[in-house]
Amino acid sequence: MKTNFKKSENIKIDEDEMIDEKRDLTKEEFEEFIHKSGAKGSFMVYRSTKKDEELGIDEL
Amino acid sequence: MKSKDKEINDALEKTMKGILDQAYDEMIQNFSLNLKNIWKEPSASIISNDDFNENDFSKMQSAIVIGRGPSIKKKKHLELLAKSNYKGAIICTDGNLINILEHGITPKKFPMFYVISVEPYKRIFKLFDNKIVDKYGDKIKGFFPTVVNPDVVSRARKAGIMIHWFHNLYDLNYGKRSLNYIFAKMVRTKNHLNGLPALQTGGNVGTSAWFFSWKILKIKNVGLIGMNQGWEPSDSWETILSHNSKSKEHLAQATNVNKKKYGQLIEKVYNPDLKSYSLVDPIFRFYRNSLIEFIERSPKWLTTINATEGGSLFGKRIKQMTLKQFLKKYC
Repeated sequence: MKTNFKKSENIKIDEDEMIDEKRDLTKEEFEEFIHKSGAKGSFMVYRSTKKDEELGIDEL
Repeated sequence: MKSKDKEINDALEKTMKGILDQAYDEMIQNFSLNLKNIWKEPSASIISNDDFNENDFSKMQSAIVIGRGPSIKKKKHLELLAKSNYKGAIICTDGNLINILEHGITPKKFPMFYVISVEPYKRIFKLFDNKIVDKYGDKIKGFFPTVVNPDVVSRARKAGIMIHWFHNLYDLNYGKRSLNYIFAKMVRTKNHLNGLPALQTGGNVGTSAWFFSWKILKIKNVGLIGMNQGWEPSDSWETILSHNSKSKEHLAQATNVNKKKYGQLIEKVYNPDLKSYSLVDPIFRFYRNSLIEFIERSPKWLTTINATEGGSLFGKRIKQMTLKQFLKKYC
């Protein structure tokens, strides 16, 4: 398979290994990967039915 | 957004919220311990009033938000910025504060110097626990969420950083039972009668810094550096899996990941502006999607310029230029 990646000893990810519509991981596997790849250093995206609030509130 | 993309994105957002929910008790405890100081110290909104007098306004037409993506080092952006005569604001994410100061980007040279945190975890204590932070702290304006770990903000305060407070938007959509609502009511009972600004974090401190730049500082032209939101194909597995963290915790976790399975979660994205590919893992996908979305939804008076010179950030309302070009235009 053609790939656009540079040859590297450190990382070898082929296109067919990447996520696509045909491949589904379990929810548990997905969460495990998220955890292990540093998700604890993150926060969250706030969602609301009030779409303006999603951009922040001047005075709460 | 395609339906499959939206499905993945929704799943990511749900997962990330679930992870943060695990810190629910911690956030309540942090807020409780911070409240006494929140009442005594200024709101983040005071910056809009104090820094926007007539004399400073011309200088504040632009800002540079500094993340800690790999392009910072590869493109020697900190060296370039340190040597420049840039007059705009420097908005520093907490994770890069020490590195930025060590590169000579200090509030002594760049007086409009801000640092922002968003996490509730104690692990970010080390980001402020350094002699160089102590050296320049009294000239740095720091912005902390009401749920920040009290030891973290205490260390920043000890370094002389002027503390300013804001709420992280977390669960306000749950109304009067939400932590956001309850915390806001408690803050308003003393001194902050109009409350505090509440920021959308977009899931990470880099996006929070971008929100801060225009939502609080009202800056019209915001440049981004170190905001790759993706890896280069030459980056190592350890760098990717630990998210470039030097912490033993992350590195240990990285060695336990099934690389083949993890590889399935990495998306290859072509950046048409840079004509290069970027590897976008789930965390970066989460960061990237939200930032692209919010830039598109931002007010028309705001221009966002991606000067990262690498990575996967492109799209509507995102201008691309090199840092050199940015500095030339906005110096």
